[in-house]
Formats: sequence, C-alpha cells, structure tokens
Amino acid sequence: MRIKVKIKRCDPTGRGGCEPYLQAYDVDVKEGMTILETLMWIKENLDGTLSFRRSCRSAICGSCALVVNGTPKLACKTQILREYEGAREVVLSPLSNFRVIKDLVVDLSPLWDKIGRIEPWLQPGSEPPEGGWIITKDEVERIDRESRCILCGICNSGCNSQEVDPEFIGPSAAAKVYRFVGDVREDGKRRRLERVSGPHGIWDCSRCVMCNEYCPKRVEPMTSIEKLRVEAIREGLVDNAGARHVEALVDSVNRVGRLDEAVYTFRSLGFLRSIGMIPLGIRLELHGKMPLPHIFPAIEGIEEVRELIRAVEEEE
Amino acid sequence: MVIHDIVVIGAGLAGMRAAIEAARAGLNVALVSKVHPVRSHSVAAQGGINAALKEDDSWEAHAFDTVKGSDYLADQDAVEILCKEAPENILELERMGAVFSRDERGRIAQRPFGALSYPRTCYAADRTGHTLVHVLYEQILRAGIWIYEEWMVVSLVVEDGICRGVICLNLATGRLHRLHSKAVILATGGYGRVFKHTTNALINTGDGMALALQAGARLMDMEFVQFHPTTLRRTGILITEGARGEGGYLLNREGERFMKRYAPEMMELASRDVVSRAEQTEIDEGRGVDGCVLLDIRHLGEKKINERLSQIRQLAIDFEGIDPVHDPIPVRPGAHYSMGGIEVDVWGETGIEGLYAAGECACVSVHGANRLGGNSLLETIVFGRRAGRRAAEYASSTELKPFPDVFLKEAAHEIALILNRDDGERASTIRHELSSTMNGCVGVFREEKGLKEALDRVRELRERYRKVCIDDKGDVFNTDLQNALELKNILLLAEAICLGALERRESRGAHYRKDYPKRDDENWLKHSLFCLKDGEIRIDYKDVTITRFPPKERRY
Amino acid sequence: MRFAFYPGCAALAIAKEAYRSTLLLAERLGLELVEMVRANCCGAGLFNDKNRELNLTLNGRTLAQAEEMGLPIMTICNTCFMVLNRARAELDRDDYLRDKVNHHLARIGLRYRGEVKVKHLLQVVVEDVGIDRVKGLVRRPLRRLQVGAFYGCHILRPSEAVAFEDPDRPRSLDDLILAIGAEPVDYEGRTKCCGFQLDLVSPHLAYRMIGKRIMECRDRGGETMITGCPLCHINLDSYQGYAGKEVGFKLDMPTFHLSQLLGFAMGFSEEEMGFAKHLVSPERVLKDRGLL
Repeated sequence: MRIKVKIKRCDPTGRGGCEPYLQAYDVDVKEGMTILETLMWIKENLDGTLSFRRSCRSAICGSCALVVNGTPKLACKTQILREYEGAREVVLSPLSNFRVIKDLVVDLSPLWDKIGRIEPWLQPGSEPPEGGWIITKDEVERIDRESRCILCGICNSGCNSQEVDPEFIGPSAAAKVYRFVGDVREDGKRRRLERVSGPHGIWDCSRCVMCNEYCPKRVEPMTSIEKLRVEAIREGLVDNAGARHVEALVDSVNRVGRLDEAVYTFRSLGFLRSIGMIPLGIRLELHGKMPLPHIFPAIEGIEEVRELIRAVEEEE
Repeated sequence: MVIHDIVVIGAGLAGMRAAIEAARAGLNVALVSKVHPVRSHSVAAQGGINAALKEDDSWEAHAFDTVKGSDYLADQDAVEILCKEAPENILELERMGAVFSRDERGRIAQRPFGALSYPRTCYAADRTGHTLVHVLYEQILRAGIWIYEEWMVVSLVVEDGICRGVICLNLATGRLHRLHSKAVILATGGYGRVFKHTTNALINTGDGMALALQAGARLMDMEFVQFHPTTLRRTGILITEGARGEGGYLLNREGERFMKRYAPEMMELASRDVVSRAEQTEIDEGRGVDGCVLLDIRHLGEKKINERLSQIRQLAIDFEGIDPVHDPIPVRPGAHYSMGGIEVDVWGETGIEGLYAAGECACVSVHGANRLGGNSLLETIVFGRRAGRRAAEYASSTELKPFPDVFLKEAAHEIALILNRDDGERASTIRHELSSTMNGCVGVFREEKGLKEALDRVRELRERYRKVCIDDKGDVFNTDLQNALELKNILLLAEAICLGALERRESRGAHYRKDYPKRDDENWLKHSLFCLKDGEIRIDYKDVTITRFPPKERRY
Repeated sequence: MRFAFYPGCAALAIAKEAYRSTLLLAERLGLELVEMVRANCCGAGLFNDKNRELNLTLNGRTLAQAEEMGLPIMTICNTCFMVLNRARAELDRDDYLRDKVNHHLARIGLRYRGEVKVKHLLQVVVEDVGIDRVKGLVRRPLRRLQVGAFYGCHILRPSEAVAFEDPDRPRSLDDLILAIGAEPVDYEGRTKCCGFQLDLVSPHLAYRMIGKRIMECRDRGGETMITGCPLCHINLDSYQGYAGKEVGFKLDMPTFHLSQLLGFAMGFSEEEMGFAKHLVSPERVLKDRGLL
C-alpha cells in the first residue's frame, strides 16, 4: 500500500535557520514494516539528507525515539500500518521538550545531565561478603521495573511537568533514583530522598500519567515517583508543600471521609502562602464555590474509614 | 590542543570496562563513541555471562568447555585467564551495582547454556547486556570520564610505529578533531552488518577492526563468523540461547525435535555452530517452516516466561506478531558474532606500540572457531579490564608526543572527496549488494565456488566505492556521510572474511566448507592472519597455543 | 440504566455545578443514579504517595460497596475514574494484594470480589446512552459555538486500567460536541494536563499548564472549552488570571463541565446548569452565538 509519510524536518544550515517544515514522502508499506524501516527506506531511496538516530532496531538501545502522530514512541517497534490505520496519516516529528539538532535528531544533553546529577551509581554501605551479596528474589523484583529503563527520553518528551519546567527532574531520572533507593544494598537512601524532595523534584509531578502510558519498556516512572514520595514521607521529609498536601488529605479523609478543601488548602500551602490565596478564595466565595459553612459534615460510615486507615497503619 | 592520556574508542562493555580500569590508575581517560554509551550494541546481549562460581564447578571445566566449543582453535593460555578471572569479575560487577537474577537462596542464579557442562551462566533475566551496560555507564559517570558522544573515529594516527591519537568526526557539527593521546584502546565491537541477516545493531560496522588494519595492525581468524541459531525470521533480531537454556525445544515442520539426530546428548544445547548447521540442513532439506525452524517454549508456562524471558516474549510479539506463550517462534540462523578480530595478546596489545584492543573487535583468541554463549560478555569484562590496565601502565611510563596537522588534513581530504562528489553510486546500493553476497556465499555452509564469487564481488564493490556519492552535503548530523564511511569499513572486512574462508580448506567450528567437511588438524590447526599491504589484504598463519587440552574429536 | 453514583469530593463542594447539572442531565437521559453516600474520597492518587496499601484498601471499600449495591459505578470526575479503575486493575491483577485488602475490608464486613465496573459519565453517554439518543434530546443546538474538547489525563491514562478510548486519538467529547450542534476545535493540548495536582504544591507550574492549554485551544479558534472533569474545570476556570500572567496574555476562556453544556443544549437554563458559578462567565460567548 502506498501512503504518504510526513516528516517534520529542520535543517539548521539550510535556508531559514532551523525553521521546521513538513516534508511528505510516498512510501510503499507492507504489513509488519516498522517506522524505523520506513525511515531507512526513505533515506536509502528517496532522500539521503534525512537524519534520525538508530542503533539496535530491537527496542533495547533507546536511540530511535520520536513522535508518531503526536505520541512519543520508539520507531523500531512501531508498525507503520497500525499508525496509519488509527490516524489515516503518519506524521513523524522529533521528541518534544528537547531542542532539535536536525530533522528527527534532538539534543538529549538535558536528559544526560539530569541522570548525571542524581549520582546514578550504587552507594553500598559495606563491602559484600565473600561470594557476593545474598539478595532475595523479592528484593530484585522491587527495582525490576526501574532496571528496565533504556533512557530513550520518551517519558521526558511526554512529561507535562517538564514541558512547563525544564528543570523538573523528569520521569527517567526519578525512576533512576528509585532504582537506587529501592536497592537493598544502597546506603545513600536518605540523602537521595532529601535531594529529590526539593524544588523541581518528585513533588512537581502533576500525575499526568504520560510516562507510564508511553514508556516502551513499562518502567512506569510515575509509579516510581509515587514510591519515592512514600519513602520520603517515611523518612520524615515532610517539610514541603507536596508532603503536607498528602498528609492534609489523609488527615481530612480520616476526619470526614472526604476532602475538606479549606483546611486542606491551608495545611498544604502553609499559613503564609494560603494568605496569598485569600483574594481567589473571596472570588470563589462570591461565585458560591466555597462550601458554606466551612465545616464539613463527615460522611456516613466514617468509622469504617477510620477503621481501615488504622488497620493499614497497624500493619505498617 | 586536546590531550588525553588514553583514548578509548567504543563505549560498549569492553570500552567502558577498559576506561574505568585506566581511570582507576589516575589517568585522564576519554571515551569516544559514535553513539551514546547506552546505545552500544552490548546493550542487546540477552542471555548471560559465564563464570564458575559454585563449589562443584571449576574454572578448568569452564576452560575445557570453551576450548572444545572453539573446536580447539582458541589459545588455551588466554582461555585459562578468561575462566580463572571470571568469578572475581562477576562479583565486581555486583559491587558496581549490577543485580543478577537470584536463586532460591538469594545467591546469583545460573542457567544452562549451549555446550556448557554445568549451568554456569549468570544472568539478569534476559537483559544481561542491558544491565551491565547501564551499570558500567554509571561507573563512567562516577569516575568523571570524559565522553565524546556521537563522535566517529575516522583514522588512527600511527607515526614511527607508535599510536599517537585519533582523528574524529563530531557528528553534531561535522567538524574534524584531533585527540592526542599516549595510548588508544579499540573496543568497537563486531561487523555484523557485513551480512544481510544479522542480530547485530545497525551501528555494527567493524570500524575499529578496519581502522586497525589500515593503521598497520593485523587481523586474525576473520573467516570465523558465528551464526546464531535463533534469530527472528524477518528482522534477524536475537532470541536468546537462554530460551533453550530454560528448556525450549527446536522443532521442524513435522514437530520433531530434530537436534536428536545431530547432537543426541546436548540436543538443543549443543554449541551454536552445530545447532545452526542442523537448522540450516533441516530448512535446506525441506523440513523447515517458511525458511525457518520453530523454537517452542510454550511448555515453560507463562509465569516462567514472564520471569526469565520477558524481553524475548515482547520481541516476538512486537517484531514477529507471535506470542511465544501461545505459539512457537519461527527462527533461523543469523550472523551474530565475529570470533576474529584485531590480533592481540592477553593484555590487549596489538602489534603497534600504544594501540590496544578488547572485546569483539579483538581476537585474543578465546573463542577460536566458535564462541560459547555467555563467553562474549565475559570476554569484554575480563579483557577490557586487562587492556585498560596495560594501557594505563604504558601511558604512565611514556611521554606524549603530539602528532602533526597532516593527519587531520588527510582525513579532511578524504571526507571532502565524498562530500563534493556530485555524481556516483549510492552507498546503500553497494551495501545491499555486499550484504546479500555475504549472506548467500559466506554463510553457514560455504564452498569454493561461492567463496570465489563472493571475493570477486567484494573486490568489485570496493572499486565501485571509489565513486560513492551521498545526498547530504551538510555539516550537522550528516548520517549519510557516516553511512558512507562505515561502508568503507565493512567492505574492507568483507574482503578479509572471504579471503580467509576461501583459503581455509577444512571445516572447523563456525567455518564449514561443504567441499572440505572434515576438521584438518594436521594442516589447519592454526590462526589466519591478515594485513594490508598496498591496499591489498595479505594472509598469513600462526600456531595455536595449546596448554592442557589436546585436540580431540568434538561431539555434543 | 442504574448506576452507583460516585460524584467525588470536588463535585460535592467546589464544583457543585457539575453535580447539580449531572443530576438533571441523568434524569433527562434516563439514567437512574443511586448516590454512594457512604463512599469515601478516592484520594486523587495521593493515598499512593502515603501508602500503596492504603490506596487500595480505601478504594477497595468503594468498589466493594458498589458490588454490594449490585451496580456499576459512575463517576463524573476523571481523577476518581482513574484512581478507582487503577485500584481495581491492581487488585484484579495481584492475588496477594487483593487478599491483603480483603483482610482489612473484612473488619468492616466488606469484600472486594472483582466484579464491579467503574464508568465515567462521558463513557456512559457515548457507550450506554448513545450519540443518536443525545442528538434526539437536543432542544437548543449550540450552532457555530467553537468548543475545544479538553480530555485531560485521567479519563485516558493509564489506558490499560481505565480502558475507555484510544488515549492518542480520543473522540468521544468531539462526537458529543457535534451531537449538540456545536463545532469541535482540534488543538494540541487536548489530552494533556490541567495541572490540578500542582495547584497547592507548585502553583506556577499549574498556572503555566492552564495557560498553555487555554492558549493552544484559543489559537485554533476555540471560544469555550468542555471537560469531563470537575478538577480540570476548576483549574481552567478559576486560575485564568494567574495563568494569563504566565503566558503573557489576558485569558477569558469560558469552560464547562460536560454535564453543563449537554444539559444546556438539552434545554436546561443557564441557572439550572450553574453557569453563574464560573469565574469566567460564558455569557458573552453564548450571547454572541445567539444562544442566550
């Protein structure tokens, strides 16, 4: 079947600097043909000037990440006909949230920098005994997902927090942090958690689920971030808006079974910042949005909720 | 002027391991790689890494298996080092942060692998290479080793017989740079892309071997190309030997476990050369299924498959449309590994002062005529470390002598010729002809007629390459230029492979001649050596080192 | 069609208009809603930041309550929809966790059996009611009104757990916009995040997200936005002042919860649909289009 494949191109040395433009190529595609094979075919037969990265072509090296019809994917494991069937077109663009170098090649150095900054190496407390560490299967399993990361940048491309804050740690580096925090041999757990509890850290994830959705290796970085938050709170790193937010919510649910917004806002933001919210609060009030009176009745069966919270806490 | 004590070319396992070792000596070390380190092909290794860890196993047994697997062509002094040093290296990888899969007692688990007399292969599920590459990359960052990422080396500078550095092309800018160094370690991996059907990454174009040959070093045993028995039908993507190690069957179209006719004892776990030949025979004699045989792991059950073989399950689903939990996977032999490479001693020393090599691009030789599964990762770690150590010793005791500009100018001239040529033949045309020829004539089964044809064709293609022409004339990320430069390398290596295969009139390990189907120790228990003289490849031979295992007939 | 109605905390308080419009709309659509008055807050995912088991247990309670009622759950909030479905998927996948949660639930006489379905109003409208039926109920076609569908995150992702529609190419809201006579506006950020979870943590990031989403829609000709989620609705509506400062543009984009605009098109008044509760009034846009 002959289809048009549109590629968002950018030639930094050509006319107009790196002003991106769409170029369409007619390609005969066959069942099973991948996006990467399509790109290689175009490069070999139609246009040698097209640039893209590729290496293993088997979804383990992470080179060929790009955006297919708006969604970040690995070119090598994405079948072009499936994409065409879904959207009736195929538009390939470079990864989002990164600077384009040429065509589909982006500058990943912000990703490498973020990975480098988390000190991505095991920091064990002691030397292993002779014959090596004893590590249970469950302990290996705990960091299994994070260990699958191929650093392709797909999660960073999809990440909505990174889009509005380039300094945000990002899903891949966060998953890498958990890979060490969750490692039984690791000694630097608390220091790692302290670092990611600050600005641009784990609490700035907006839970948009892009990373979990699109990770080609099912690392589920957002779940890693949730696990880091659990560990951070357990370590007592609660002096930040994010952790206070969680504590306030759990407290509210324990008290009334649901969200008591006024108290919740106050506790999450802290006193001074919630004062800053007062003008908005007044406007919301004027539009009848603030519940009146600001005291919530508890839900029916609140004792059950308290009982369950107690049960889980006891277990812990 | 950019100066490093040591420049390591290639950032796969061998290169990174060498760099780490050299940096430990307190030297200024740089890694140069045409891809980011974690994109290196080592990352695709699946099944595992061998080491005699358990009390009832021994390095001697490992060494014997390795030598037998090599069809007695391996140098036994090197094999001894490989097997003796294996356990400490595995433990060091764990200290660095690797997590190998565990047994019930929490110790490193080991699985059976092809042609091993003991379940000796340590693994991280079916992502062993991935685990190790990422761990070594972490150690590279920790050591603060400078990485020239996406820089392609275009020539080695050898002056007065001493290696003085390299000339590199920065892909992002198109600029050529000089890196002056006291020592250079080549760790660029294999050349699988010489063949059409291969497990290798698209980047595996044997650059280091070609650079070394052109710089005056010798290649060794180039005719020995391993064809992996289980690669996916359409793409050549690897399905780990671990699938058979965990109990998978190979079936022909009659549903017969045909290996019983070829290797009654080891069955599916015979050495790779034996299994690949058996498969090819089944296929050639009409007992295949659509040009393949079937790898059946259904009886392992979904749980075990997910736990130990999850990646290959996903690969089969994504690339072949088959879920191995429910259906057998069609597989066929595919070019996988180069037993040959740059001739080095057990410290990675080439014949050129200051130039070292390790990993698949080198030939120590620990694999001889056929490598055992699980020994390649081991080789990268053991000999990467040794090359790093020896290069560091050398660099610590030598003065840097910067090389003159002329080397840069020569490289620039060669690139300009390609860039400025407006009329000529596309690199891809030449490459396709080359890889089809190699697959057709220099595959699992070989004979004189085909090999002669292939050699003639390769020489013709090398001629045609002089008129190679590319579309992209730009500076920035010019992969068109990169492909053309790589093509030059694989053409050169293809000639060595063909020549070595044509000359070796016997069958040994992975090199099988239909016209000489027997191993011939009397005439051919020797390594082939290749050097470049006046643009032509010359062949020579040297003896094999035999210490404790005299050659015997090989049965599985 | 009967549903165990789980309105969620936002719709019961700060976004009450969504709750009221849903009740009216449901009646019109012939949906019988049995409100889950004993249900607790889903935690909006934050329980997971405290303790994964807490999340599964408290949401397991809600799921088990619906099973007792013998009804599928219907939510009108993307986040409730996602959190309940994600908990359901985890409990269904992992026997060990389910046993653990059931052990806790036994203390209050409940058991999660793994039978309940969790649906979103949007899903109920397109799958159970049907677009044609909606068309037939329209009394006030919103002709020429340019509406940007804001799907947001949690009605689409994680797609494996929520299992609603193609997360890359959703169309349900757009189909409904057409069904009520309006014109859907396609724009880039329709499946992205409104930033709600960062409102109280890193408000500037949330404002930037809001600003971007509204500008993306506006740049493609959108004059109103519609969403199936009260949290997205609150964020898009309430913070346009702050968001405008982040993107350097004075924003005035009226936004609706799905139930409001559907109800309005079916003839309910703007009072009944609670338009007055919006910080950005839709009055001008609706008047311009002759709809008020």
